[in-house]
Amino acid sequence: MNKAERLINLIAMLLEANRPVTLERIRSSIPGYQQSTMASFKRMFERDKSDLREMGVPIHVEHVDAFGEEVGYRIPKREYYLPELEFTQEEKVALLLVNRLSTGEVIPLSRETHSALLKLSPDLGAGSRMGQPASPPWRFGAPSGSVEDLTDLWEAVVERRTVRITYQSLGGDEERERSLDPYGLYFDRGAWYVVGYCHLRKEIRSFRVSRIRSGVELDRSQEEGPDFERPPDFRLEDHARILPWEFEEGSEYQAVVRFSPKIAWLVERDLGDVYRFKPRKGGGGTLYVRVRNEDGFLNWVLSFAEDAEVISPPELREKVKDRLHLILENLGGEADA
Amino acid sequence: MPDLASRVRRLLSLIPYVLKHQGVDIGGLCDVFEISRDQLMKDLNLIFMCGQPDYTPADLMEVDIDGDYVYIRMADYFARPLRFTPAELSGLYLACSSLVKLSGSSSSPALVSATEKIAGVLGGAAVSQQDIEEKVEIHSVAPEHEDIAKLSRAADGCRVVEMEYYTYGRDDLTRRRVHPLSLVFGMGHWYLRAWDEKRGETRVFRVDRIKNLEMTEETFEPPREEKEEDRSPFEVTESKGTEVHLRVHPSLARWAREQPIFKETEEDGDYLICKLNTTELAWVERELLNFGPKVEILSPPELKERLRERVRNLLSIYED
Repeated sequence: MNKAERLINLIAMLLEANRPVTLERIRSSIPGYQQSTMASFKRMFERDKSDLREMGVPIHVEHVDAFGEEVGYRIPKREYYLPELEFTQEEKVALLLVNRLSTGEVIPLSRETHSALLKLSPDLGAGSRMGQPASPPWRFGAPSGSVEDLTDLWEAVVERRTVRITYQSLGGDEERERSLDPYGLYFDRGAWYVVGYCHLRKEIRSFRVSRIRSGVELDRSQEEGPDFERPPDFRLEDHARILPWEFEEGSEYQAVVRFSPKIAWLVERDLGDVYRFKPRKGGGGTLYVRVRNEDGFLNWVLSFAEDAEVISPPELREKVKDRLHLILENLGGEADA
Repeated sequence: MPDLASRVRRLLSLIPYVLKHQGVDIGGLCDVFEISRDQLMKDLNLIFMCGQPDYTPADLMEVDIDGDYVYIRMADYFARPLRFTPAELSGLYLACSSLVKLSGSSSSPALVSATEKIAGVLGGAAVSQQDIEEKVEIHSVAPEHEDIAKLSRAADGCRVVEMEYYTYGRDDLTRRRVHPLSLVFGMGHWYLRAWDEKRGETRVFRVDRIKNLEMTEETFEPPREEKEEDRSPFEVTESKGTEVHLRVHPSLARWAREQPIFKETEEDGDYLICKLNTTELAWVERELLNFGPKVEILSPPELKERLRERVRNLLSIYED
């Protein structure tokens, strides 16, 4: 007998029951249980019950009558049934897009969202069809990294559980296991990062989720959470979107960069929310950038070639020149050929 | 086991779906539940075997397949799907708020009201809106002026769009007239698939590189159903054009291995030799300026010469 069939029959029976159903009655009624001995039936039933509870089926254990010791099982309709919802056409379209987002597995809990939307499908009707031309015509592609890791991290953030991860940093260290108190998640340029207190480095750090090599394990899985408090002054936006030239090393100073009309609007769009951008007449503009990591900054400015010029400080202009001479040397050329 | 759980979950929604939409067609059901016709038939056969004790024909759920149409009767106890688990409800809230952020719109009234309806009936989730605000940050390089919404409307109404577009590959800003077809979000950016009038072919544009976007009054004939869903706009490796060989410093080697742009990499001691094909060299030059002395050009010599020229130009900007 098919297990799916047995589970559906079990739910149907316990849903329809007005009074708790005894084990004996369950065994004698449902075909899948009938053939087994009492002991193996009990094991089978326990597994089925925990599988169903894991799916969210509310199975109650109650005394059969006020005096006896005997217990029975029941699924209260009020707790089982999803209440009926009525959506407007616009809301259906919006939820269809949410469904597409969940299929793309872009965000944490995507699979859970997907199964929630499946439960809404009777109320969404054909509006929940993936195949029909959606309006608006949006699709989502998955970022790198696993949605399971992302979901595990999200749950650890919400429940404040310390996690253990093996992380491959780009810096050249080999993979290292570390424990982390995850404070939050952020998504930038197609990649997810987890921010938290790293017990190995003893400071708040960001980790790219796709570089976690191990999966996400709870550090103290035997204990009840929460394992830590998030510092009250912690603000995720202070750690999200740290640009390559803001990382560690060196003291912070301000650099002024001028951009050509061809490119300035793109820079403003990308960084206008982080730095001050002053537009110039006739297009183009000036960006006031916070710099800590000079190397990273030089890389970035030079990637715009003639469309970006460092205006100040003068020392930084000199460094741009030095860098350019070095590149030229490597290319086997003279400055004034 | 995961297969079993997902099948049982599906069955618990499939039955109420048909109960509410009697006579739904088989193709439609397959679409909604994202399963093959074969799997749907297996599911319907299973439903047909289930019911209440004593499982006589009068106790079983009744499944009728009339031509292409499906009916289920005698299954009132499955009139509604199973309630959400706390994780499902949290996921739904998180997805709704993420969608608003990803699309760059300040709000989507329909999405907000749908979420409120769900919250009104089901109460709070395991996570609150405040949790979501404090614990997830989603940054997409979302263009201003609600470009995503504008392009969606244009695609919907088959309206020709005029735009100024920055082509990264050629480092060039050009005006174009396009027929918007669909929008795809991936690798952190929104992409527009559109028919380019002048070039006479379908192209993919990055939405944040559109400078000025104007919807015209003209409409276009939507193309005949093409199998566009199969095509990924993220195909970054080209097979034609110039072959470029680069020698990458050990400190960048690991990073370089992660880059999909390289069609081939091979080790050279601690260094990494990376190969790519491209029809445009302009963007390669810029990337090379970015990495400075850490990436060496092995070939073609033409690229070396062009980069030398560029560096000299740049130096002249800084000389005075």
